[in-house]
Amino acid sequence: MRVKVSYRGQTLELEFEGERVRVGELLKALGLSREYAFVVKGEDVLEEKDTIVDGESVRVINAISGGYI
Amino acid sequence: MRRCQRCGQKAVVYLPQHRLSLCKEHYIEWYLKRVESTIREFKMFGKDDRVLVAVSGGKDSLSLWDALCRLGYTADGLYIDLGIGEYSQRSRLACERFAKERELELYVLELRKEIATIPEIKEVESRPACSFCGQLKRYYMNRFAREKGYHVIATGHNLDDESATLLSNVLSWNMGYLSRQFPVLLEGDGFVRKVKPLVKFTEKENALYAFLSGIEYVEEECPFSEGASSIEYKKTLAQMEEKSPGTKLRFYMDFLRRLHPILQTQEVELRPCKVCGEPTTAEVCSVCRLKERVIPKLLSSSPSS
Repeated sequence: MRVKVSYRGQTLELEFEGERVRVGELLKALGLSREYAFVVKGEDVLEEKDTIVDGESVRVINAISGGYI
Repeated sequence: MRRCQRCGQKAVVYLPQHRLSLCKEHYIEWYLKRVESTIREFKMFGKDDRVLVAVSGGKDSLSLWDALCRLGYTADGLYIDLGIGEYSQRSRLACERFAKERELELYVLELRKEIATIPEIKEVESRPACSFCGQLKRYYMNRFAREKGYHVIATGHNLDDESATLLSNVLSWNMGYLSRQFPVLLEGDGFVRKVKPLVKFTEKENALYAFLSGIEYVEEECPFSEGASSIEYKKTLAQMEEKSPGTKLRFYMDFLRRLHPILQTQEVELRPCKVCGEPTTAEVCSVCRLKERVIPKLLSSSPSS
């Protein structure tokens, strides 16, 4: 299955096995932690256990930002 | 499905460190109340104070500006245009759009008119860009606020910024920085009061507030922050937080309550910089020293010279 992900101004297409993927797995595939990132579909913030099905588009918001300390 | 603990509707946010599930409306309400209580807890400012919010176009500073206005504070914005190509153009536009939509006052200070752009300085400086960029922002922010008669400068520093900085300062036992790490730096000797009303919010909580409030901000990172040390510290703290929710807040707040008061023994002697008159601990302030180094190099490398 494929999921279209809008992430920091880019559109990525990610492929997963099976017909659905959990939000937690999607974040993991992007190397992100739920501590600083979350997934939104339309107006909704998804929970970690929510699933995304083939062909759906989501937006991933990574809140981590950095600079020199 | 989680339910909002205030109204029973479907929750959109779960905050493990607070064991709290909230719907959109109650999350915004919770956020605003927490901003207000932080301002009061640290006696940051009151409703009569003129506040200047340092805005970068990112989630933290725009959420802060939005929250202060919703809470009824008098808050104008200052955007410092660093001249970092498309990144600065997009950030400036986000701030200008935000201010225009809400009919707020936004000042723009262009760094290229004061000294040079960050990429130009980087060409002739060996230090990491974030190091002199932060120094320049603090300098111009303070000078601007003082000249315009603002009582307070508010920045969008969050719990992740503060706990990562604390970890870094503890790892190197940087006592000078540790003694100055506090959400309020009082005014005096030419300095305007500086406050950080978002220190109790994680970056994710600020991003959630921005998203749920419909604030359009720039998600992309500054190109110069790639590989920044703070991101590594933040990721380390995130791992600890995942295993033990509340670690970051406890680490930071316990530092403020238990250790910070003990560190307040040394008085720093300030004097006016002999070049520009801004407060400094040295004869010439760090920005004037940077100008002395950078401007001749930039002039000699410019095509018209």
